Amino acid sequence: MSAEIAIRVRDLVTRFGAQTVHSGLDLDVRVGEILGVVGPSGTGKSVLLREITGLDAPTEGEITFPHAEAAGRVPRMGVMFQDGALFSNLTVLENVEAPLREHTAFSDDLRAEIAALKLSMAGLNADAHHKRPSQISGGMRKRAAVARALALDPELLFLDEPTAGLDPISAENFDSMVRELAKALGLTVFLVTHDLDTLHAVCDRVAVLYKGKVAAIGTIAEISAGATGWVNDYFSGPRGRAATRAAGGG
Amino acid sequence: MAVEATFELIEAAEQAPVLALRGDWTVDTIASLEGELRALAAKLVPGAALDVGQLGRFDVAGAYLVDRTFREGAGGSERIPVRGAHGHALALLAAARKSAVAPAAPPERTHGFEGFLERVGRAFGGLGHEIIDTIGFFGETLVVLAKLAVNPKRIRWVSVVHIMESAGLNALPIVMLLSFFIGLVVAYLGARVLGDFGASVFTVELVAFSMLREFSVVITAVLLAGRTNSAFTAEIGAMKMRQEIDAMRVMRIDPMEALVATRVIAMLVMTPILTFAAMMAGIFGGLLVCWSALGVSPAMFFARISETVPEQHFWVGFVKAPVFALVLAVIGCKQGLSVGGDVGSLGSRVTASVVQAIFMVILIDAMFALWFLEMNW
Repeated sequence: MSAEIAIRVRDLVTRFGAQTVHSGLDLDVRVGEILGVVGPSGTGKSVLLREITGLDAPTEGEITFPHAEAAGRVPRMGVMFQDGALFSNLTVLENVEAPLREHTAFSDDLRAEIAALKLSMAGLNADAHHKRPSQISGGMRKRAAVARALALDPELLFLDEPTAGLDPISAENFDSMVRELAKALGLTVFLVTHDLDTLHAVCDRVAVLYKGKVAAIGTIAEISAGATGWVNDYFSGPRGRAATRAAGGG
Repeated sequence: MAVEATFELIEAAEQAPVLALRGDWTVDTIASLEGELRALAAKLVPGAALDVGQLGRFDVAGAYLVDRTFREGAGGSERIPVRGAHGHALALLAAARKSAVAPAAPPERTHGFEGFLERVGRAFGGLGHEIIDTIGFFGETLVVLAKLAVNPKRIRWVSVVHIMESAGLNALPIVMLLSFFIGLVVAYLGARVLGDFGASVFTVELVAFSMLREFSVVITAVLLAGRTNSAFTAEIGAMKMRQEIDAMRVMRIDPMEALVATRVIAMLVMTPILTFAAMMAGIFGGLLVCWSALGVSPAMFFARISETVPEQHFWVGFVKAPVFALVLAVIGCKQGLSVGGDVGSLGSRVTASVVQAIFMVILIDAMFALWFLEMNW
């Protein structure tokens, strides 16, 4: 794995009124890795995602993209929001075409073909192309949302709770789809999740957010080994142990 | 920044051609190459190879375009022989080949004259359904109101008062202002036209008659149709889209009682109050014109009104207010509850709500006018 840094977060502070969400948070995401971000509800995982993608501005601190900036580029990002955030008045295919329509000069045919390719990569077949988001299942919506996030071939992919609300089998399929795509396309993935199975199945490294800082970062084995407090509870609780067993670990 | 994407077809005698890619082949750079590659496809005979040695950045869109060119070429569906070394070109070409799928044909639609007839037919059919549904909903609302009248403890007074404030009280300034201007305009019209007959003093009657009988209540109702109906439909429609209505139903909270009845009651209370305020503002507007343009003092103005304008004209206008209130609230809530799952239906329902409400206000007003005429009121 490359040791180059795709996303560098330094001394990040976020405050909403009197409430401090991040207090001096540092985080490095390496190029080509899938980083899982976990933490108790309300520790600012989604806020961190929004700040890195530029949707919200942090109170203090800086967020840079050294790998892309060294090449003189602004990194292109794709975001999959928790509920998909598909445009409900467009069909699934049109949803994936939307960013292409906006940013490229492709012919109608090529644009539709590339959108169909992205949907197929995300595991949706042609039956779904002309359906509205309200006419397909939650799992299919998430796949369509990933396809849309990938439409412009981003180098950074952000997934917010990708498997929330999916049945275990769909979640498992979704996990392997994410991993295969990320490795085939060489993506750097920032994945916010609560799903321990997803952490085991997909992530190269895991960052634990706790009390406004990164409490631990590394592979699950590394983190579990030195875990104390909340981190220990998280990985050694009944669910954590079950997920570890399922993943074939200790 | 991105290097321009180019290619070169190297054709040597006795050898299969080689397509050499240069520069960056990404979603940003390949758009201009599409046509040239189409034309080139025919030259890619079986055995044609791809050279990625000088290729810069490469992504799925680029891989797809290259793969498509080879698939369309005479080489057909064979695997592309690749020469030269590149980080992930092979993986991307394989991924693009594996997942390539033709976009589904859009669903059939009838076009032209036939399609036009079909749409007209559907619109009329839909209109019939809409009328029946709305009348049904109206009846349902009356039943719920009757139940609440028997058992008034079930009325949710907190939300009723809240809606009275947002839908009624907050509309007071704009209703009064508009009515004031209408009063001014009617008075100017009277002063001008009646003055030609030397009867400009009747401007006072004109203002009083028109504001009391028609304008105040219609202006109020039309404003509420635009302001409050759209809000009702959007609120209830958004709740429907977010499954909040379903959540209420499974908790055995009747949306008719919790959402519709509260709004109807709030409107029944507030519309007459707004109408009364509109009457006063309109007459005040007329008074200012009579005073400044005709020299009729306020004291004379009021004396003349109480002398020549019987009280019944006030009631003729005023009784319409609760009727309009009921119709407006029912249409607003009905359209809100008819919202489907997508944003498009929310938009079309809000539009329908406002259009139907204004249409019904004018229609009912005309029916009242006919009736009052026959009754000689």
